[in-house]
Amino acid sequence: MPNPKLQLVEAPFAGASDQSVIQTRSISKIFSLPEGPVTALKDVNISVDKGDFVSFVGPSGCGKSTLLNIIAGLLPPTSGTAELYGDAITAPSRRMGFMFQTAVLLPWRTVEANVLLPAEVYGLDPKSVRDKAHSVIEAVGLKDFIKAYPKQLSGGMQQRVALARVLTYEPEILLMDEPFGALDEFTREAMNLELMRITQKAGITCIFVTHNITEAVFLSDKVVVMTPRPGKVSGVLDVPLPRPREIDTMKDPAFADLIFDVRSLLGRHI
Amino acid sequence: MKHPDQWTDSATQRRQDWYFRLGAIGIGLVILALWELLPATGLVNPIILPPFSKVAVALYTLMQQPFFPGHLAVTFNEIMIGFVIGTLLGLGIGISLAVWPSAKRLTYPFVVGFQAIPKIVFAPLFIAWFGFGQTSKIVMAVVIAFFPVLINTMVGLESVPSDARKLMRSLKATPLQIFWKVSFLHALPIIFAGIQAAFTFAVIGAIVGEFVGSQEGLGYLLNLYNFQLRIDRAFAVIVILASIGAAGFFILEWLDRKFIFWREDRSH
Repeated sequence: MPNPKLQLVEAPFAGASDQSVIQTRSISKIFSLPEGPVTALKDVNISVDKGDFVSFVGPSGCGKSTLLNIIAGLLPPTSGTAELYGDAITAPSRRMGFMFQTAVLLPWRTVEANVLLPAEVYGLDPKSVRDKAHSVIEAVGLKDFIKAYPKQLSGGMQQRVALARVLTYEPEILLMDEPFGALDEFTREAMNLELMRITQKAGITCIFVTHNITEAVFLSDKVVVMTPRPGKVSGVLDVPLPRPREIDTMKDPAFADLIFDVRSLLGRHI
Repeated sequence: MKHPDQWTDSATQRRQDWYFRLGAIGIGLVILALWELLPATGLVNPIILPPFSKVAVALYTLMQQPFFPGHLAVTFNEIMIGFVIGTLLGLGIGISLAVWPSAKRLTYPFVVGFQAIPKIVFAPLFIAWFGFGQTSKIVMAVVIAFFPVLINTMVGLESVPSDARKLMRSLKATPLQIFWKVSFLHALPIIFAGIQAAFTFAVIGAIVGEFVGSQEGLGYLLNLYNFQLRIDRAFAVIVILASIGAAGFFILEWLDRKFIFWREDRSH
């Protein structure tokens, strides 16, 4: 199945550009479970350029979340290194913001207090962050809910709060682990458009983990396709669709081709 | 926000609330009527169960007795001191075990073993160790009261969602920040339920201690009136003890509603 658009796995980023923000060098991760060792990641080499939107896509067990956690500094690799601007990542960094599948809001805090939580942890004066926090909350469309509690908000609104909580601190890199996976299709679509608009405008480098191929292609400049047992990168696909992208982009025949390319990289795993 | 399946219009809701309130009052009245009528009609021996009206009179006269406030104060002290120490002890040990996993693994078998013992068996021992005064009763109250707080503190702290901890770790939070900003507050609704149970248990502990050996307190009075077959007064003491237990419970319930407003298992 020759396809000139597909890069092969071997040395996919041998000539990683000077622009690369995140780079992984032959990362492997082996979990020791009671039933024996499990290779979650095997020899993963990827590189993410500044300002790019990169998706990790693949079925359950392909190690995409594990890879994201290693990049976030939340999980040490068994071998290999993840690097942020060439420095090995050994702990979480304030330059990277993390978003989860659920909003992870503290129910006893208002929207505003939830957004100010990182400021408290960082030891910043919440007053100095408040104006910024308010403008970000407004930007994600929750102006009227600043003093509301999480349980008064819908799932989509809660995830907007999580987005505001991370964007307020102006991360250079945004790491997202299926951030809209728990939302319904319509809300998810709206959130994706909004996410693209905001991160493009702010020039934030994004790494987005998903098992939704359409979503991955729609959002990304680059799609990293991963397959399980053992978790590895089966290919990396450039998405040359023009930006800004709107729902109409999905009508583009190139869009359908790209989705098919991702599928063929997944091969027998779907 | 409730799921649409649970939506009811507020008029229906209010009407239902009233039905249930009236129903509860109705059941209460039926019980009081039976309590009054069964002994009065001779179906039950009035010596075994004095009618409600006699108990009410006995309650009134008991509260007029000059010795009464002293006994009330003794028991009230035992309950309160036992409750406070038991709660603090349960919180302290529960937090230590939850944040220090090796301590938990070392001591957990003993915690479970001790929990399996009916603590009342210690009451005579505590009298021997701490004498007939208030100390032995306070110790009894502490031993019974601290367990629900201990268990609920451990369960509560262990039920903190891993994502919340992960969020804090991604912010490079210190263990202390994770504990105070996330874990403790997350566990608080469960801990508070344990504290509520602790109060009821402290009442039991104090009274059991007094039953086993004492010269003062409401438990002592209750025992005394039983022996003297002054069952109406015995019932009067029970009413007072029930009131203390209920008052404590409702005060704690009120505090819970006021401070743990985010509790999820509460509809209104």
